[in-house]
Amino acid sequence: MYFAQLAVNGLVQGLVISLAAMSITLVFGIVRFPNAATGDVMTVGAFSGLVVYPMTGSLLASGIFAVIVTAAVALISHLLVFRRLAGRSVVALLVASIGVGFVLRSIMGLVFGHQPMVFSMPLSRPYRIGGLAINPLDLQLALLAAVMLALAFAVLHLTPIGRQMRAVADNPSLARVSGIRSGRVLAALWVLAGAIAGAGGVMLGVKTVVNPEMGWDMLMPAFAAAIFGGIGSPAGALLAGLILGVVQEMSTPFVGFTYKIALSFAIMLVVLLRRPTGLLGRIEGVR
Amino acid sequence: MLSYLLAIAIITLIYLLLSFGLSLQYGSVGLINFGHVGFFAIGAYTSALLALSGVPLFASFCAAALAAGLTAWPIGLISLRLRDDYFAIVTLGFSETVRIIIVSEKWLTNGVQGVPGIPRLFSSLPVGFEAQLATAGLLLAVCTLAALAMWRIIKSPFGRIIQAIRDNEDALKALGKDPARFKIQVLMLSSALAGLAGAFYAHYITFIIPEQFVPLVTFYVWMAIIIGGVGRISGAIVGTVLLMVFLEGSRFLRDFIPGVTEVEMASLRIGVIGLLLILFTLYRPQGIMGDYTKR
Repeated sequence: MYFAQLAVNGLVQGLVISLAAMSITLVFGIVRFPNAATGDVMTVGAFSGLVVYPMTGSLLASGIFAVIVTAAVALISHLLVFRRLAGRSVVALLVASIGVGFVLRSIMGLVFGHQPMVFSMPLSRPYRIGGLAINPLDLQLALLAAVMLALAFAVLHLTPIGRQMRAVADNPSLARVSGIRSGRVLAALWVLAGAIAGAGGVMLGVKTVVNPEMGWDMLMPAFAAAIFGGIGSPAGALLAGLILGVVQEMSTPFVGFTYKIALSFAIMLVVLLRRPTGLLGRIEGVR
Repeated sequence: MLSYLLAIAIITLIYLLLSFGLSLQYGSVGLINFGHVGFFAIGAYTSALLALSGVPLFASFCAAALAAGLTAWPIGLISLRLRDDYFAIVTLGFSETVRIIIVSEKWLTNGVQGVPGIPRLFSSLPVGFEAQLATAGLLLAVCTLAALAMWRIIKSPFGRIIQAIRDNEDALKALGKDPARFKIQVLMLSSALAGLAGAFYAHYITFIIPEQFVPLVTFYVWMAIIIGGVGRISGAIVGTVLLMVFLEGSRFLRDFIPGVTEVEMASLRIGVIGLLLILFTLYRPQGIMGDYTKR
């Protein structure tokens, strides 16, 4: 029963990882670089949510505000930095994304300071379902994540721009000759990736404490999940994030609290060396 | 004042050893190492712990370089099987894992409390200026050797091979050269340099905690070599000196501008570094000392 409880807690953690990994995998699949600023975009989301929450007292309202802010931040980073680096080496994009992350972290640190802040949520009695304690707050968070995920998959699979995005991810030159305007597709991609990261940031902020470094610490598990799920596969990222969250939580009694972060690194390494396509990825060169 | 300048010089030379290694890796074989600080940490802890258990400093320094160099071997093997960007993520994870191990294995490393009382170099000399001067001299000698080694590597047939690796690995393989071995050797050599830098750092600061080995250190070094110009000795030197001027200068600046707290300054410092990384990759990817004819 203890492990079942850990697994339930892990699922909520896992959703945060899933959202971060989805944001990474979308960018990786289309712009083809690992966006190291993703974690810091999540931090921006958490702080944005934190600003709105005391005014409205509604998790949904803070979530929506955060998502709008991070979508804008991601779009601006695309327009000012990443778009201009199109055609340059992966290193250039990667180093620039580290730079973007640092700038965001610096702004958050200057505006909000380094004192850890929390969403002051009302305490509520957990639901008991067959011996499992389920926190209503976790349920709300899961719902928030589900809405974001549903929206993301709807955009990807039901709208023309989503179809074009997937086409560009599949084969950029084929997409271009078939008349897809890559500028619009890229802008839409960054908005979507930013929004997803923002939702993850709010969840992370509610679950833990909000400080300028919080997002950066998410980067490792998020990269691990993106690779585990198969680069470029949003569904894979979702699945891998959930698995990683549950595994991390359930391993805590054995390996302790600090080593669970190293666990995601180990999983990532094994996946890269043994099955580079991940769970749902296509065969593509990681080597 | 003089001993302050000397202190800065020592830290600059330590960073220079890190810059040389990273510049050699990226500038010659094209390895994107985001975990350089991990090797620095391994060197620092190896030498500090050995010295505290009575091993002579000369041996502990060698052990530091050896430990960091040997750790690089499996990492090098991994690098052969991964594309550049994946290797960057893996090395970042590696350095974080090193830090987590240092934090967790309290029996060995004393965890977050850190290792105090590490013996200084040249403790036979009178404490203060002379010992510092001797440390700086030794570091300068090591850096010169490292620079010579780097220069030899860049200019030798071996160096031409590694440049060819960066430019076109497949063509090189077709010519019957084995780029894999060179990649691993360069990684091991520059990691050993980072380990040596860590040993100097530990015995100079005399107190090390895991917090000193965060990824930010790696990106300080990245900033230095990107600003200076990658793959060049002059680039590494200019970049490292500018990095130090910036880090130390920002400390002075705080004394002149009242009302700026230390944490605000730390945020500002990260912001400036981020901005420089962006601007240099956008507008001057070859760095200050880089080739002006190319873009």
